[in-house]
Amino acid sequence: MGNYRFHTPDGVIDILPQEASVKRKMETDLRELFSAHGYSEVETPGIEYYDVYSSGDFVATEDMYKMTDKDGRIIAMRYDGTIPVARLAATLLKDEKPPLRLSYIENMFRFKESGGGKLREFSQAGVELLGLDDAEADAEVIALGIKSALMTGLTDLQISIGQVEFFRGLVEEWGISPEDASELSTAIDQKDIVRIEKTAERLGLSEDAKELLDMISNRFGTYDVLDAFEKKVGNEVSRAALKNLREILDTLSDYELLQYVSIDLGMLRSLDYYTGMIFKGFTYEVGFPILGGGRYNKVVSTFGRDLSAVGFSLGINLCLTALRRQDKLPEFVKVDAIVGYKDGEGMRKAAFATAKALRETGLKVIVDTRHLSEEELDAYAELHGIDQAVFVEEEEDTEEENT
Amino acid sequence: MITIALSKGRLAQKALDLLEAAGYDVSAGREESRKLILQDEKTGLRFIMAKPADVPTYVEYGAADIGVVGKDTLLEEGRNLYEVIDLGFGACRMCVCGPVSLKGKLDQIPNKRVASKYPNITRAYFEGTKKESVEIIKLNGSVELAPLIGLAEVIVDIVESGRTLKENGLDVLEVVADISARVVVNRVSMKMKEAEIVPMLDALRKQVAIKNAEKAAEEK
Repeated sequence: MGNYRFHTPDGVIDILPQEASVKRKMETDLRELFSAHGYSEVETPGIEYYDVYSSGDFVATEDMYKMTDKDGRIIAMRYDGTIPVARLAATLLKDEKPPLRLSYIENMFRFKESGGGKLREFSQAGVELLGLDDAEADAEVIALGIKSALMTGLTDLQISIGQVEFFRGLVEEWGISPEDASELSTAIDQKDIVRIEKTAERLGLSEDAKELLDMISNRFGTYDVLDAFEKKVGNEVSRAALKNLREILDTLSDYELLQYVSIDLGMLRSLDYYTGMIFKGFTYEVGFPILGGGRYNKVVSTFGRDLSAVGFSLGINLCLTALRRQDKLPEFVKVDAIVGYKDGEGMRKAAFATAKALRETGLKVIVDTRHLSEEELDAYAELHGIDQAVFVEEEEDTEEENT
Repeated sequence: MITIALSKGRLAQKALDLLEAAGYDVSAGREESRKLILQDEKTGLRFIMAKPADVPTYVEYGAADIGVVGKDTLLEEGRNLYEVIDLGFGACRMCVCGPVSLKGKLDQIPNKRVASKYPNITRAYFEGTKKESVEIIKLNGSVELAPLIGLAEVIVDIVESGRTLKENGLDVLEVVADISARVVVNRVSMKMKEAEIVPMLDALRKQVAIKNAEKAAEEK
């Protein structure tokens, strides 16, 4: 057996002072942002019963960190923010009248992911808007997602919005079996044109249908895309999906955030989970979406309360990685000033008072504990990159300042 | 800058030929050297020469925007990528092979031992498609040996001409998948670098269509 005393397990990391300070600031800003939009933060446990995740088939067994309690029940570590919040909304918060606006900032644990900036333990900030089932609620959540990502300091941001009901409508219209629908949706999601064409051929789809499939895979844009699809589809479900997207765009335009979004009807992941709009956010220098969300109206009902739900989560560690690689991490200052003092009665007390006064102006201040002389203090400040060295020589606050 | 991950070897050369035919200056990629990164500031193209099995990894993590790699590697690695073009070359089949005597009788052997360089493809095929549990033995080469000396009943491997099989008294029992070279794209790059990537894909598709038409004409 190896000796792992010096190591952290695969997929988890230590976060060093600079990034930790940026991360904490990010979390504070996000917390304030959510709160300012009327979202109340909740804290759910770091461990849940495995059943919370498994009963709705939300998460694959292999992806969860699991252990057993003393009674032999299976415990899973927190995998995401949505499922525990849904459980909460249906149990402890069941008497709260909808709509509910809840938020969380927590660490998530995922067993399979590792490498490339994807961690097995990572922080997510997210919101859930429960009990409102319309395009304006969808747009509120997307808008908050965009504002969150921008708040972290990222500027190059692309949001893709899809609608799984659009595809579901087509599947119904074409009379495709669930297995074939899943084959087709996977192929579309991977933009695997060959497989799409082969499957379409095998299912004997019409030329119109094939053209539509090609459009789904290749057309991105905003209103122009919706116009093009509206001319092509007749079934009610797909048309309702397009109408939903149009209203979302209208609302985002009033939020003045339309410039960040584009429509991509080929985003068809987790069709069992999502029931309407879905969206993902991208930036440069990280190979994975930094944020994702959508409408999942069936999730809360798994826990016995009929409540629609829409939400998003932002990957805080991925944002940090992106900021680092884009060279946008703010400069980090450990200490702004050091206060030293002359040996003598009352001098230490005067030094503490000076340090306190400096801290109140927002500076990071340490007090010398080693009785350095004025010259030594200056040398120390120079060596450690500390901007200000303050040497207290008199009890009055007429200390001499050296910069 | 667009970063393209190529599978070192024949596949890389063919991919470069195709990009050149599509109007891209790929001289950087052809540079004869031991360099692993071949960059051309002028054309904005950067090529990385990777082991085939690593190409999907580079692309999934966004270290490369685009990759050219065999479908066998994609199936085995199971990465989350856009798989946008079938380039047509490097064509072969992933098959279950075994002694000729097993032809048509594969399903009659219980508790099969299957040897393969592709444990994930093997598992997906037997457990997923055939709903059958098997013991998978991972080998690193000369897989045909396994059924000959009794390490496994059958193997899952790539079959091109089938000559090695024939010479060893083996044959194709079932076809798992058709294999050829594919173009894969990172999901984020597709969005963030759409203006550069989409025209490149369109140009490549056009070249593939021309090649396929030529091939069809030859066959007639």
